[in-house]
Amino acid sequence: MADTAIFDKKKSHRAKHAGRKAEKKKKKNQVDQSNLSARQRNPKAFAIQSVVRAERQFRRKEDVIAKKQHIPQVDKTPLEPPPIVVAIVGPPRVGKTTLINNLIKSFIKTNVTNTNGPITIVTSKKRRITLIECNNDINSMIDIAKCADLVLLLCDASFGFEMEIFEFLNICQVHGMPKVMGVLTHLDMIKNAKKLKMTKKTLKHRFWTEVYQGAKLFYLSGIIHGEYLRNEIKNLSRFISVMKFRALSWRTSHAYILADRMEDITSQDNIRKDPKVSRDIVLYGYVRGVPLMKDSMVHVAGVGDIKISDLSYLPDPCPLPSSERKRHLMERERQIYAPFSGVGGIVYDKDAVYIELKGSHSHKTEDEETNEKKTLLKNVVDTKETIDEQMKETGFKLFSGGAVIYPDMVKDDEYLKQNKNNDESSAESDVETDSESENDSGIDHTEKLPWDNNFDSENGEDVDADDKDNMSNKNEQSSDEDDQSSDTNEEFGAKWKEKLSERATMAYFDRQKTSKNIMKLIYGDFEVGNKVKDQNNDPSEESEEEIGGLFKRVTNSQKRKQKLKDQLDTDECSYFYALNKPLIKDWTNDANRQILINNFVTGKRSADEDAEELLKLDDASDGDDEMYGDFEDLETGEKHKAKEAENDNEVGLKRKAEPIKSEILDKKMKLKAKFDAEYDNPDDHRIKGDHSYYENLKAEALKQSELNKSVFENLDEGLRVEVEGFRSGLYVRMLFKGMPSEFVTNFDASYPILIGSLNMAEQNIGFVSCKVKKHRWYKRILKTNDPLIISLGWRRFQTLPIYSKIEDDLKCRYLKYTPEHVTCNMHFYGPVTPQNTGFLALQTVTNSSTEIKQLGFRIAATGSVNEINKSTQIMKKLKLVGTPLKIYKKTAFVKDMFTSTLEVAKFEGARIKTVSGIRGQIKKALNKPEGAFRATFEDKIQMSDIVFCRTWFKVDVTKFYAPVVNLLLPLGNKNAWLGMKTKGQLKRENNIRNEANTDSMYTEIVRQPKVFKPLVIPKQLQKGLPYKLKPKNNRISTTNKKGKHEGRIAVVKSQYEQKVSKVMKMVRTNYNKKKKDQRVAAQERTSKFKRQQEEDEWRKLKRQKELKKKICRQLSKMSSKKKPQM
Amino acid sequence: MPAIIQNDVLIYKGSNFFRQRLLLSTLSGRAVKIEEIRSSHDDPGLREYEVNLIRLLDKITNGTRVELSETGTSMYFQPGILIGGQVTHSCCPQRGIGYYLEVLLALGPFCKEPINAVLQGVTHHDLDVSVDKVKAAALPVLLKFILVDDGLELKVVRRGAPPLGGGEVVFKCPVRRHLRPLQWCKWGLVKRIRGVVYALRVSPTMANRVVESAKGVMLKFLPDVYINTDQCRGSNAGKSPGFGVSLVAETNDKTFYCAEAKSLEPGTGESTLPEDLGRECAMKLLDEIHRGGAVDSSFQWILALWMALGQKDVSECVVGPLSEYTIRFLQHLKEFFGVMFKMEVLREDEDSDDETVISQKVKMTCVGIGYVNISKRTL
Repeated sequence: MADTAIFDKKKSHRAKHAGRKAEKKKKKNQVDQSNLSARQRNPKAFAIQSVVRAERQFRRKEDVIAKKQHIPQVDKTPLEPPPIVVAIVGPPRVGKTTLINNLIKSFIKTNVTNTNGPITIVTSKKRRITLIECNNDINSMIDIAKCADLVLLLCDASFGFEMEIFEFLNICQVHGMPKVMGVLTHLDMIKNAKKLKMTKKTLKHRFWTEVYQGAKLFYLSGIIHGEYLRNEIKNLSRFISVMKFRALSWRTSHAYILADRMEDITSQDNIRKDPKVSRDIVLYGYVRGVPLMKDSMVHVAGVGDIKISDLSYLPDPCPLPSSERKRHLMERERQIYAPFSGVGGIVYDKDAVYIELKGSHSHKTEDEETNEKKTLLKNVVDTKETIDEQMKETGFKLFSGGAVIYPDMVKDDEYLKQNKNNDESSAESDVETDSESENDSGIDHTEKLPWDNNFDSENGEDVDADDKDNMSNKNEQSSDEDDQSSDTNEEFGAKWKEKLSERATMAYFDRQKTSKNIMKLIYGDFEVGNKVKDQNNDPSEESEEEIGGLFKRVTNSQKRKQKLKDQLDTDECSYFYALNKPLIKDWTNDANRQILINNFVTGKRSADEDAEELLKLDDASDGDDEMYGDFEDLETGEKHKAKEAENDNEVGLKRKAEPIKSEILDKKMKLKAKFDAEYDNPDDHRIKGDHSYYENLKAEALKQSELNKSVFENLDEGLRVEVEGFRSGLYVRMLFKGMPSEFVTNFDASYPILIGSLNMAEQNIGFVSCKVKKHRWYKRILKTNDPLIISLGWRRFQTLPIYSKIEDDLKCRYLKYTPEHVTCNMHFYGPVTPQNTGFLALQTVTNSSTEIKQLGFRIAATGSVNEINKSTQIMKKLKLVGTPLKIYKKTAFVKDMFTSTLEVAKFEGARIKTVSGIRGQIKKALNKPEGAFRATFEDKIQMSDIVFCRTWFKVDVTKFYAPVVNLLLPLGNKNAWLGMKTKGQLKRENNIRNEANTDSMYTEIVRQPKVFKPLVIPKQLQKGLPYKLKPKNNRISTTNKKGKHEGRIAVVKSQYEQKVSKVMKMVRTNYNKKKKDQRVAAQERTSKFKRQQEEDEWRKLKRQKELKKKICRQLSKMSSKKKPQM
Repeated sequence: MPAIIQNDVLIYKGSNFFRQRLLLSTLSGRAVKIEEIRSSHDDPGLREYEVNLIRLLDKITNGTRVELSETGTSMYFQPGILIGGQVTHSCCPQRGIGYYLEVLLALGPFCKEPINAVLQGVTHHDLDVSVDKVKAAALPVLLKFILVDDGLELKVVRRGAPPLGGGEVVFKCPVRRHLRPLQWCKWGLVKRIRGVVYALRVSPTMANRVVESAKGVMLKFLPDVYINTDQCRGSNAGKSPGFGVSLVAETNDKTFYCAEAKSLEPGTGESTLPEDLGRECAMKLLDEIHRGGAVDSSFQWILALWMALGQKDVSECVVGPLSEYTIRFLQHLKEFFGVMFKMEVLREDEDSDDETVISQKVKMTCVGIGYVNISKRTL
């Protein structure tokens, strides 16, 4: 057995110990293989196998990445964003109000009895939302779509989608799509489970095609005790509170406000005198979008363009919770603010104030407070008479839930108490701030209040405060304590005037050093528009050269006035030294040269730029000891140099040379940050490879947005608002003067009041050219010059559009009707709006059910703006027709085309053509028939030709622009705005019919039966025909005879006539017989004569023959006789 | 003189800053009314060059309405839409081409079609920036705002000295939908100095003498100095004799300072020595360098304008001490656009020497008004 085993044993593998492979293996085994990745272990497996495939893979990857990239946009959301507008939209009786109530309850645990207008609630530590219900009016739908961030689109599942939903989605698409979440209600009406499932599925898919694939659709399965199921609502509210939003281009270029409170502050007296008097209205709301500039024009949707007469910000009525270190909202922080709905403690009508205590949790804790305020309020209400007091009164109505400081009161208090006693005021305000809840809007005592700027009754105090604020802001690092304290003392001191000169001198020195008042210098009294302050400020401003007393100052101000007068008409010149040539320093002299030398690359650089210094810094950062060593060296070195040349020392003085410890640290941190940014970019996982261009763009946008946020951060609020505008998130109060009284008298809070700011030039009106397409669901086509209601930008207006088509030569050719399924051009007279702004067109905005039923879908067309201009060029085709007057060879005189010689002169050289296609040219006008002209043609034309000339005729756009003022319409009738009617509509109403053109009328067509001529076969042909086909004699005769006698009158002869005719007949017969006989006899005779003649001839010939024979014989005889002799 | 606003019409008094007002009115689309134009002067009313400016504005706009009173002492200006395109304009020789060119430059990016303007007149004038200066110092500023140079060009075809002129320039400017925000707080150090000396209808040696003296001054500061001479002949030399120089200092952060000087007009009795002229110009340039800032002091206003007309983002720039003209322009900007700049005076060394040594630098910060070119056509 052992043998066999030995026999069977295979030769074992013997690993090579030398050679190429062995070396390779050795090398490989030097590193530990176990913890290497597959790629490292076996690199060949991962190498590129096919170049083509690798290239394709790479390309595909790049495509996918490129698709993900969007143009980076600067994020403009402020640190404290405004509440998110959540609009609840849907057809009537679908459960909108119930949903709002349930949402409010789920967010803030309060029952709200009636909801009306926007309701702002705090939902989380970082987020507030404004809920607004959209009523069933297309005007409201449009306005809501323009301002909503999130739309909850409600739909009755038992009924399916209604037209309103599709209309709303279309409106949204045109004005920038907000986030849309569908909500299906009334699901409990469908009993059958299978049917329910099917309905859900079909509705979901229909919704997806409208919004986008995978759009969120909620199911609210049913109502129990008048409420939706709690967990479903909870789910929905959770979705709302985590929703993210995309910036929409229109809203990132325009500020807008959804007003949540309205006050009429017109004096009661004026109203009593004339109830129709223009009102002064105050509207309140959060600024959204971009910052709102102070004196900008705004458009109030449904009212019209109006200027803000006064704009100021107020403490937030519904503030975000302060930054307490808690994860959840405290009970008291769950706030609600809804003045229109009467939530938050106080409801107010036009002339009365109601306080509702039920359901407002914050009031329970602060009952005394409210009572106190109530009494105060009552007093004010009783005594109100002047405008000022009215203003106060409006202010009183502001605070909600007692959680907000009431602004005007604070101001007043401050005023009163400051005048009396400084301490008292502080105590008082302390009490007040204490009494409010802690997280109130942060109004400090020291902070300047915004409305100070906006009221005229002011002292110079505020001015000083301003100055101080400016200074302290700009001069942060070196603000000395002493100065500050004295400032604050002075700020509240009553005897500030006495200290004025003293302070002025101090201020002067201060400014001389720092020139902090440069903004004052430029903008003058920019914040407070009062005169007192101007006077007070003069000395400090004027004291550029002199610090002196009053005397000097007065002369200075006079001088300035004189200077202003002089300046009035001087020549403008943009040079630094405008007209007066200054004495320029002699820069070549050594001392002056030193100042300048470092502005050149050859000079010494500043510490953070100089390579030498930087090197030194790097060395220094290695260790403190070393640093000082180096430093010492440097110093000695410099001093040494200074001995050689004085100049360099001075150079050195200018720059900071000594590196301080903090500086080094700073530098290190900077380097570290740079390293971090380069090497561990956290959100770089998705996009890899070389996308530096895109990355740079992104970084730039990010940098810009950070700058936007940070640059004004520590600026005084008043100044900040002035420079930056009222940034979004601020709660502002806007005063509008001259509002139509109908706005107040017909006020309905269920209609959204959207106030949109207008950018530069957008308040102007011009001709707007846009591309437009009739909506494919709209049943009719649109006719040129039929009034159309357009929703463009913030506005809704009616105008008369003209449709046209852009030809290849960029000419706009007039069209009478919109083409189907193609875009065309449209011109109208309307507000100037930036290019690419979307718009939609409606033919009517009235809500009459018959009309809706007739139309089906109300959105007539959609499009976007192309171009703005102050004139239009729309051309209509025109054919001028004339007829020849006289024709020479190729020249012809043509008349009737024009009416005057002047007209002809305008058309000299124009191409003309006849109907037959002979081309020609207009040459010159003729004298005689006015309007006739000489023309030449390429060929001779006929008198029957018509000559025509093809030209273009300019069509003007009618200047008609009427804003839709539905908010001014009476209550209950707000959805029935009627503008200009179409011609067709008017005709239909007045039963006017067009007179028809008789030429175009239809008439009965009478057709004569066709009569053919009898077939006549020529005799020649008849002869050739076989008998069968030959026309039979009798038939011919009959037809002939019939033909001959048909229609003839039968002649009945008298006796005598009969006899005559009989005799005549006999005579004729005889005559015929005789003639016949004679002819026969004559024939016989002639034939006889011919025969005889022939015989004679024959005989004669015979005789001649014989004679010839004889002669010939004789001749031959004679010749034969002669022949032998020859 | 602050404006009075009545029904959205700004009412001003006096002829000063006429150009600023019309320019801003055209950009903002707001009507202006200017009253009491030289009403107390011997020759009241608008001057020829101002009327000429209105003509130019009328040429590049559509729908502009101008109403002049009989005496010419008050005018109403309702701007239209900026069209641009091909324009030929003969400027009034009372002012230099610079007077008109600056307007075109400011309006250029906001036209419907790219401006291609041919301006004829006086290219170098005492009151106005010369075409060389606009070319050297103003165009780079615009380039910072539009970033891509597609067709921004200023070509000096002919030079013309006052009083008769006879010069011609061609100005081309691309259009933009909006300008980008600009952060420009560093301007670097002067790295090179270039210049051009022109001599029109005078001896060519004049130019060389100017070069020599200007170079003599500048070489004390920087070795990289090159000054060209432009000897014009025939029709290229315009209609009047004269010579002048403009020097440009370029920093390593693409800031250009420009100074210029020119000979006195013939007929004034005095004559200018070329050596003095060269030295004067060099001094002016050094003064400009001393003032510093991201732009030349003559173009601070145009920088402010473009910053204000940017998108709704923060722009910040540091400039040298503000000129009177810029201050007035900033006031006008606030009146027309409601935009206010935040101004800060920067100081390098708090504790260092007196005011005269370091010129104060001003940091201008503003949020653009989100101005978009509404004239431009989209297809």
